[in-house]
Order: sequence, then structure tokens, then C-alpha cells
Amino acid sequence: MRAAPVMFASIIAFAAMEGTIFHTGLYPWILNPDASTGYLETILRNERERPKDGPQILGIGDSRMLLLPRLSNQHTPETGYTFGTIAAPGASPRSWYYMLRDTDPAANLYRAIVMAVESYDDADKFNGEIDNEADLSYVIAHLRLSDLWEYSRSFRDPKRQWKAARGILFKGLVYKRDFEDLMLHPVSRFRYAKLSHRDSFGWFYGYSGPPDTLSDFRVDWAAKTVTAPASADPARVEGLKARLLDPLPPETGDQGRYLKYWLGKIHERYRGSTTRLIFLRLPRGGWVRPDQPRYDPHSSVRELAAQPNVTLIDEHFFDSLETPELFHDELHLNGPGIDRFSLMLTQEVSRILGPPR
Amino acid sequence: MLFNTPQFFLFLLVTLGLFYVSPQPWRRWILLIASYFFYMSWNWRFAPLLLSLTAIDYVAAIWMERVETPRRRKLFLVLSLAANLGFLGFFKYYNFLASMLAEALRKDAHAFALSIVLPLGISFHTFQSMSYVVDVYRREQKAIRNPIDYALFIAFFPQLVAGPIVRAREFFSNYYEWVPPVSEEKLRGVLWILLGLAKKMALADQFAQIADSYFKNLAAHPGAPAAWSGVGAFAMQIFFDFSGYTDMAIGMALLLGFHFPANFRRPYLAFSITDFWHRWHISLSRWLRDYLYIPLGGNRHGSLMTYRNLMLTMLLGGLWHGASWNFVIWGGYHGALLGLERVFGRKKFQEPPHWLLYPFRALLTFVLVCTGWVFFRAATLHDSVYVIQQMFSWHGKGVLIPAWLGCVLALSLVIALLEEKTEWIESLAHGPAWAYVAAVVTLLFSVELIGVTEKAVPFVYFQF
Repeated sequence: MRAAPVMFASIIAFAAMEGTIFHTGLYPWILNPDASTGYLETILRNERERPKDGPQILGIGDSRMLLLPRLSNQHTPETGYTFGTIAAPGASPRSWYYMLRDTDPAANLYRAIVMAVESYDDADKFNGEIDNEADLSYVIAHLRLSDLWEYSRSFRDPKRQWKAARGILFKGLVYKRDFEDLMLHPVSRFRYAKLSHRDSFGWFYGYSGPPDTLSDFRVDWAAKTVTAPASADPARVEGLKARLLDPLPPETGDQGRYLKYWLGKIHERYRGSTTRLIFLRLPRGGWVRPDQPRYDPHSSVRELAAQPNVTLIDEHFFDSLETPELFHDELHLNGPGIDRFSLMLTQEVSRILGPPR
Repeated sequence: MLFNTPQFFLFLLVTLGLFYVSPQPWRRWILLIASYFFYMSWNWRFAPLLLSLTAIDYVAAIWMERVETPRRRKLFLVLSLAANLGFLGFFKYYNFLASMLAEALRKDAHAFALSIVLPLGISFHTFQSMSYVVDVYRREQKAIRNPIDYALFIAFFPQLVAGPIVRAREFFSNYYEWVPPVSEEKLRGVLWILLGLAKKMALADQFAQIADSYFKNLAAHPGAPAAWSGVGAFAMQIFFDFSGYTDMAIGMALLLGFHFPANFRRPYLAFSITDFWHRWHISLSRWLRDYLYIPLGGNRHGSLMTYRNLMLTMLLGGLWHGASWNFVIWGGYHGALLGLERVFGRKKFQEPPHWLLYPFRALLTFVLVCTGWVFFRAATLHDSVYVIQQMFSWHGKGVLIPAWLGCVLALSLVIALLEEKTEWIESLAHGPAWAYVAAVVTLLFSVELIGVTEKAVPFVYFQF
């Protein structure tokens, strides 16, 4: 045997098998629907496969973008629009771009895409989203070899850049944990994945939020304390304290640069299309801390709002929801809160778009 | 620069490229520069130490050859050994001895301690260097006249940090009659590298997580099943880690046209402790036999002296691994088992038993070896005793090794059993191309899908 052709054949064989299994829909089909990657795949698959009769509106955001299409679509006879959502826990604007690219390949499927952001002022975060490693796991199934340079360079930390680059090349490296879990229970995984393919649309569509509220909690801004009932979950109390009482992160402008890049890229995809990009500011929580981030007239969304197909919902539109009775933890609305949020959003988006033509 | 990092593979590719495109006379320089670059990538401050030891032994060997009087020859030998053992002793054992002295003087354990960083691979390259000097003294090896050649023998990067400990005559017979590797050797080289990488990343590093979680918090995992799985995981970690490193070293050497001796031969299939030491870290066992056990008298002076020599060799072998009483006990434990096997009849433990008995003997040997690993891995003697108590406590529940890793292990056992019969891995390079391609693809997938790639885990034997 000559070494060079055999080595070459080995590399080609590996690349072909890796490509077939991980760079197609083959492995994503069997992902664990409960893990973050599989969860996102399920949501995106459900949205792709959802029948789309009439004008469509798509919501996108993280776990706080609790638009319930079940409620919104009860109003379709009045509004004329059908709502769907691909919001997923932990999904950030960088992921939104790739999620939208595969959900709406021709950038013309929706009358509007409603994007939920935390702030209109590009407030910085302690763990900025630039180097959020989890992003890679979320969208790995949607990254192409041609994304290698741009996607990996979008991380600032060289280690994460390297991790992203090798992950796009060898996707099995990113699916590793899921693969180990698959090896533990291959039969039950296959069954669960099959069940998820068949039924998960209904699971998500029928979702209604938790009933718990924060009405028994008290916040004393002067004393900087959060008082919770004795039965409260300590993790929830700690989360609330951190959200309300910890000092704000220093202003670095990192988040602004990050958002301008990725929201700008999303806007670029929809430039000239009939799709309107609508931004909303998420309800901030059961209590609003007095030291809000500084107003930034040149923030990413405010600058985008100057574009013809971009609309910003009034920043204070959801202020009425910012009450402890409508939240179940420091970030998320509870069942009644979600219902009200969905209805308010449905009506406002329908109003902005006007009756379908 | 660890063997299991992309940086190392880049370094290897560049080195191989430069080596093969350069004219023959430059090649020794390229290998030497690459080897020092590799060594200095860890800690450049130790390069003068490596260089000094190389220079001392190089000069000592030449002088030893030049002088005729036995006393002067011995003097150069002693000077060379003193330098090697002096450096090794200082860097590796100073703090151990200092803590014992402090204890004897009833002072704080750290009263005489120094902040010493152990130079990478010092235990290996000093042993390799000493074997050369002793061979020259015994007139079994001619002194090497070209300092570049000798420096390369000591610093050759595939085996610099963790062996195998290569004898000078093995290295130089290969070196002075160097022929470029043929296709089959290149294919074997690549296969050994990938096999070593897969052993390290897909098996050793997986088992390391289990062993670490067990040994770092013993109280959290009481009972025999947890203890056996923790200790068993360490047994697998250390084997796959060290043999993985050796496979990679052998593969790299093959690609450069060098043939290293085997360092492991499926040690967990050993049917006795004697057999185990013929299969585990063979180059060290051979070194200890040739430069310690035999010079001590070996088995030439009656049973009692043989047991003494055996015990001394194993105690020192244990201490070579690290400066702690646990390693001494580990060495002593193996010395005692080897002695016991001699008491019951040497032949019985050197020749394989009937095939029906083989599995039971292999299992018993594995249990004995695992019990020894407890001393090797546990942080203190107290911990070692606790773990052994748990192992034989016959209570508790909760195996720490996940089922899928158990399946992978079972598969590797089947591969080892087949390999024991036919050595088919070696023959893959001259078998059908499809079989070779299938093996490479399988190894690459095992690294990709099972390998621990989040961080590069250092090789266990790098610390020695």
C-alpha cells in the first residue's frame, strides 16, 4: 500500500461520514428535545413545518419573549394575522440571525418579525453576549462552512474563536454531550425524538405559564433588601436580589457594538423585502430598579428605527405588566402575565401593520 | 505543548516537513532545534539544565573511554552519576527530604521547603543519560563523539518527557543507519499516533473525570461499588494515558524513521504480577533490571539476597515515580508480590496458565494491581487505607462508571484480546486499504465524539 493515497482516502472517508451525519439533518433529527440544542431544533422545525395560510408574523427572542401563538391566533379573524414564535431560552441576537436564515430562507415569508430586546439603550451586561459560548451549541445545526470565518470571529476571546471554528468544521465536537447521552439510552432517545417530531408542536402551542407570583415579596430600595416568604425558593430569592440590588455593569459599549452588528445583519437580510422588523422592549420585571441604564439616542435599535421597514414599539408599552403579581421570578412573566403580554403584543403589532392587504 | 493539542500537531507537521525537505546533513540540526523548541515551550528556563546534563554526560563518556585506569574510569562514572542524581534528587526529592527532616526536628512541615518547579521529563532523560554513561563504562557502548548526535539522543522530542527510555545502542544503531520510512511504516506511524490520541482523549480523559471525582471527595462516595469504580477508573486512566502517550511517541518516531521499543503489551491481561511487569512500562522495568537489580546482585547470591534485591529495586522504582511515601509503599507492595510469586514457584508465574484458568488469574492480577494503584493515586496514606477498606467492605451502592463508557471499555477489552492473539493493529498497515481507512475513521470519530476536547488534560506521567 502506498501511504499518501491511503491517508488521503482516510481523510476523505472521515470528512464524508462526518459531513453526512453532522452537516445534514441526520443527527439533528435525533437530538435530545430537552437539551438546549435539541429544544431549539424542535422549535425551528415546528415553525418550518407549521402550515402558513394567510399573512404571518413571527416572534423571536429569548425565554422572556413569551408570545403565545395560541392566544394571538384566537384573534386572527379580527387581526387577519397568524402568529408563530421561535423564541428560545438563551437565544441571543447572534443566534437569531442564523435561526431566521433557515426559518425564512428567502426573507419574504413573514409580514413582520417581532424581536424582543432587553433594553432600547444597549445596556451592557456583566457576562456580555459577545463571548457567550452557549450560542455555538444553540445554532450549530444551522452553521455552514461558509460561516466559519465570520461566526468564529464574532467572539472576542481567541479560545472561543478557535472553539467556534473547529465546531463548525467538526460539528460532532459540539454534539458530543448529546452523543454521550444518546449512547446511554439509544432506544428511549429514538422513541422520544420520534414522539417530539410528532407531538411537540402541540406541547409548545398549548403552553401556559406558571401560576406563581412575587406578590408576597417586598423590595426595600433604601435598605437594599429583598424580603421573601419563608417558603420561597432560595434560588429565586437570590436571583431577585442579584437582578434588583447588584450594581449595574460598567458601561463599556460592548453590548451596543454587538447588537449593532447582529441586528444590523438581520436588517440587512430584510432590506428591500416586504417584512417589517418590529422591536419591543421586554417588561423589565416585577419591580423596576431606580438606577436604569443611561438613555442612548444612538443605540442599535434607535438607529435602526430610522430605516423604512423598522418599527419600535413604544418603550413603555409594557410598563403596566411590570408588577410582582405578573412575574414568577426575577425575569419571567407568570401565566396571567404571559396572557396579557401576548394579547397586548398581538393587538399592537396588528395595529402597526394595519389590516392585511 | 501537550501531544493532545492542535499546537503540537502543527509543530509536528512543520518538523516533519522541514525534516524531509532538508538535505541529510541538516536533519540532525532540525530535529535538535525542534526538540529544544518543544522542551522550551514548557519552560525555557530549564533548557540550560538539560544542556548542562547533556554536556556533563557527553564529556564524561568521552573521558571514560580515553582513560585506561579503572579507578579514573570509575571516577568519571561517579561524577556523571552524581550530577544526574544530584539534579534529579534536588528537583524531585528535596522537599520530600526537607519535610522528613522538619518532622524529625519537630518543626513545621514546610520549615525547610523550597518553591521548586520540577523540570519536565527529568526522571526520563536522566535515566536515559545514565544508562548511556553506564554502558560506556561497561564498554557496551562507544562514546558518542558528535555532541549534536548525543544532544539529540537526550532531547529527542517524541520521548523526551515521558519515555520510552531508549538505550543508546538502540537509538544510535537506528540513527547512524537511518533510512527513510517506507510506506508501511508511515501508515503504521500515523495509526499509532491516532490510536494514542484516541486512548488519551476518548478513554483516559473520560476515566480521569470519574477517578478525580472519586479521589477528590472520598467521603461522598462510600462503599465498595464506588471504590472499585473509582479505583478501576484510575487504573484505566493511567493505562490509557501512559500507553496512549507511548503509542504517539512510537508513531512520531516511526514517521521520522526511528524505531522505538514497545513500552506496553496489554498489561491488564497479565496472569501474574511477574507477567504484569513484563507488560507494563517495559522500558523502565528493563532499565531497573539492567542498571539496578542486576548490579545489586540479581538472583545470583541465593534466595534471601534475591528477595532483598527485588524489594530494593521495586522500592526505588516506586520512589522514581514521585517523592512521597505512597509511591514507596506502591513500589514495596509490588516488590512483596513479586517476592511472594517467587516463593510459590517462579515458573508458575512466568508461563501462562491453562486457558480455563487464565481469566481467573488475570482477574486476580488485575485486582492486585488495582489495590496497588490506590497508593499511587490517593493523596495521603490515610486516604489509601480508607479506599482499600471501602473496596473490601462489601457494602454500598452506586457504580460511578456510566454504562456507555463501560461498553467502550468492553470493546477495548475485546480489541486487546484479539491483539494479544494476532497483533492485528500492526498488520493493518500491510492489510487491505479499506481496513486501514476504517480504523483511521473509527479512531478519528472516537476522538471527536467521545474525546475530552473542552480542555487539554496533561498526561499523568508528565509529572514524573
